[in-house]
Amino acid sequence: MTALVRELRFALSERAVQLIVLIAFAASTAAVIAGIEAVNDQQALIDRLVLATDEERAVAVESASDPGDMAYYAFHLTFAPPSALAFSALGTRDTLPWKHRLRMLALEGQLYESDVGNPELSLSGRLDFAFVVAVLLPLLLIFLLHDGEAGERRAARHDLLRVTATEGRNLFTVRAIARSLLLLAAILIPFLVGAVIQGVGLPGIGVVLGAAALSLVFWLAVCLLTVRRVDAGPTCAISLLGIWLVLAVLLPAGGKLAARNVVEVPQGGELLLTQREAVNDAWDLPKPATMDPFIERHPRWAPYSTVSRPFEWKWYFAFQQVGDQAVEKISTELREGIKQRDRLMGMLSFLSPPLLTERLMTGAAQTDVAAFQRYEDCVRAFHGGLRSYYYPLLFEERPFDDSAKRELPKFSPCAQDSGR
Amino acid sequence: MNPVIRVAAEEWRYWRRSRLGLAASLVIVSVLLASALATWRQVAIERNQRAELQTTAENIFYDQPARHPHRMVHYGHYVFRTPPPLALIDPGVDEYTGAAVFLEGHRQNSATFSPAYSGPHGGSFVSLSPATVYQVLVPLMLIALGFSALARERERGSDLLLLAAPMSARGLWLGKTLALAAAAALVLLPLLAAVLSATGFALDGIALVLGYGLYLLGWVCLTTSVSARSRSSSNALAVLLSVWLAVCVVLPRIAASGAEVLLPVPSKIEADLAVAKAMRELGDGHNAADPAFEQLRANLLVQHGVDRVEDLPVNIRGVVAEAAEAEQKQVMDGFSEAYAQQEQAQAEAVRWSSFLSPLLAIRGFSTSLAGTDLAHRHRFLVEAEQARYQFVQDLNRIHASDLTYTDDIRRSSDAGAEQRTRVSPDNWRSLAKFRLTPDSLADRLSRGMPFFLLLAVFLALATGLGITARPAGVR
Repeated sequence: MTALVRELRFALSERAVQLIVLIAFAASTAAVIAGIEAVNDQQALIDRLVLATDEERAVAVESASDPGDMAYYAFHLTFAPPSALAFSALGTRDTLPWKHRLRMLALEGQLYESDVGNPELSLSGRLDFAFVVAVLLPLLLIFLLHDGEAGERRAARHDLLRVTATEGRNLFTVRAIARSLLLLAAILIPFLVGAVIQGVGLPGIGVVLGAAALSLVFWLAVCLLTVRRVDAGPTCAISLLGIWLVLAVLLPAGGKLAARNVVEVPQGGELLLTQREAVNDAWDLPKPATMDPFIERHPRWAPYSTVSRPFEWKWYFAFQQVGDQAVEKISTELREGIKQRDRLMGMLSFLSPPLLTERLMTGAAQTDVAAFQRYEDCVRAFHGGLRSYYYPLLFEERPFDDSAKRELPKFSPCAQDSGR
Repeated sequence: MNPVIRVAAEEWRYWRRSRLGLAASLVIVSVLLASALATWRQVAIERNQRAELQTTAENIFYDQPARHPHRMVHYGHYVFRTPPPLALIDPGVDEYTGAAVFLEGHRQNSATFSPAYSGPHGGSFVSLSPATVYQVLVPLMLIALGFSALARERERGSDLLLLAAPMSARGLWLGKTLALAAAAALVLLPLLAAVLSATGFALDGIALVLGYGLYLLGWVCLTTSVSARSRSSSNALAVLLSVWLAVCVVLPRIAASGAEVLLPVPSKIEADLAVAKAMRELGDGHNAADPAFEQLRANLLVQHGVDRVEDLPVNIRGVVAEAAEAEQKQVMDGFSEAYAQQEQAQAEAVRWSSFLSPLLAIRGFSTSLAGTDLAHRHRFLVEAEQARYQFVQDLNRIHASDLTYTDDIRRSSDAGAEQRTRVSPDNWRSLAKFRLTPDSLADRLSRGMPFFLLLAVFLALATGLGITARPAGVR
């Protein structure tokens, strides 16, 4: 223990260590601030959009004289609010949609509208805490530790230290541990402050600390093993950097390529074209061509399925539903394909600790592909709820009065394990 | 033999002897080439698929039966964004930009289905495209190869021996730089081959390779310059790796996060809501009796000297639909132009950081020349909007001229009228074929020029750092 305290003091007095720890602290602080700003912007945007959509919908509901009108003109906002931990790992929220303006029309025609961030910014990626932990932490650790033994050797102190220090060879291990603890502290302190500001609960904080510790322990082990085997500082640095390059860059990027090639997903364009055909052909087809497949799925409305006029709302919304049914297969394949690709990346992450760290953190922050798919499921469920609300009004022609209007479902985000 | 060349040749010999370094470089280069090739293949497939879908969408539209023209306005059409040929080298923003837009009346839809939508996510780089390999990883390889070039001699004291021979410090630096530059040139050959096979012998491709050459030469000079100025190889390596880390890994992210926080872009949904609100005030183009179009109606009646809309030689419903679409377009264009400008402003903010990060400079240059920058996305959206407006207004004019008002208002109740309001499918042929052509060469070159100059400044600074390094003897 005293050895550790001594090494901590010694490390703090070294210029190089001071510099690297300072860089780590600065990067982590910047990442936390940028993350909180981004999350606050997202929340403020949601608040504005909810207000504006509610206002717009109130007008549509007020002026609607029949349920079909209301279903056609009333829009709803669906969204997935950022979790408390989202600031620490912004994840896919700049590239995958988490908000939609929806109405009762065919869902498959609306679900893929994506209101996402600037692609040129996505190209660079964001500075967030997950990046600091998964990518920067190992690099800074390599900078700190690569020259440990070789440096002493150059200064001709190596053997002297080994024989005189009570810890013997362990001296260098203790020294490395002391330095990595300093680095970890510099990185974690800004996060802890941010977590308190954002009101993250203890389990959430625990996951992030665990991920950071995991990353640190892994890279500490890699550094110690390499430093012990390689004599010259530069060779050691290059070997470590090579390991980092393979684990942090090549494996994830290669994995993405492989996942794309191994798991085929249907093309979006194909889905869109098929869906549109199904919806639009209905206008020219005899009414039973729409109503039969509709009733097959929803036998409950069979007694009310006769369409006598050229245009009736119930027929209109039935063919919207049939349009969705027509692409069910493609749409399920697409969802399954995305899930499968993500699962492959998950398996790969056991070979790449930086990827594993990133996935643990985006998972906890609910900013990963799985969270995006949960949001899509949530939208599907809400849209299903709209249909259950409108169909009795449209088919049974139940009285459409103010009390019926008040029953219109209102979107609330699906309960996520918020990490609070 | 010229002493400078001699130094360069000796450096190559040194690399050949240190098998480990050579083997590592070879392994890295081949892994990189393999993944770059795979990305190339990916983009090539993507290009073909989108081109095929475009043709399919057009044929589907042309094959529609006789219909009421306004039905076709809502039937709509799809256009697909086909990446330009050089996207094979640098896909740029392709990954995050929607590939398909649904064109329909009264709405400007966003582009959907970016490759990222269904793609796997994770890792610190988007993909290992040929561009990323040359921008990020080759500099690292050059550093690993060259960091000790001069510092090594200094550590051993062999530089003094060299300088005792007829060799200046500058000549020594030049020789070492030449050796490393030759390695860079060798690595650049696959890029040249890739560009030639993507575009043939074309100016844009050659300019692209020149840009990468300039960038890599900048790293070569920086590496040898730092090596010349460092007391030891490990110092040189520490400095070079820090620079690489800052320039290639950290700065781009800081720039992106900064641009996002400082210059927020509103959401597309916000614009949709505002457009919907403005449209409610403009009047519903489906309803010729909407009071918003009273003036138009009155003018038409006067112009044709009749009292009732039934007596007009044109179908007022079509006229109103056309007028309403034109007004709506103005509102929607206002929003979409502002949106594009704000996105562009964010991108500009990132580009200003090119002064600090040559990586951003080469990325700006490369995506500009390949035509895969943000401007490409915006031009796609603008051209899609032109295609949308053209086909919608064509149909509205047919609606006004080929249908009678009396049939039009009775078509929901009278089967005969309904038949007469259907126009021949020949009219669908007026839909123009949509082919997104690459930006003109002049445009791309002029967008890329500032970045090229920045790269030249980077090279000049790195060279200056080397030739002003003091001779080792005067430590």
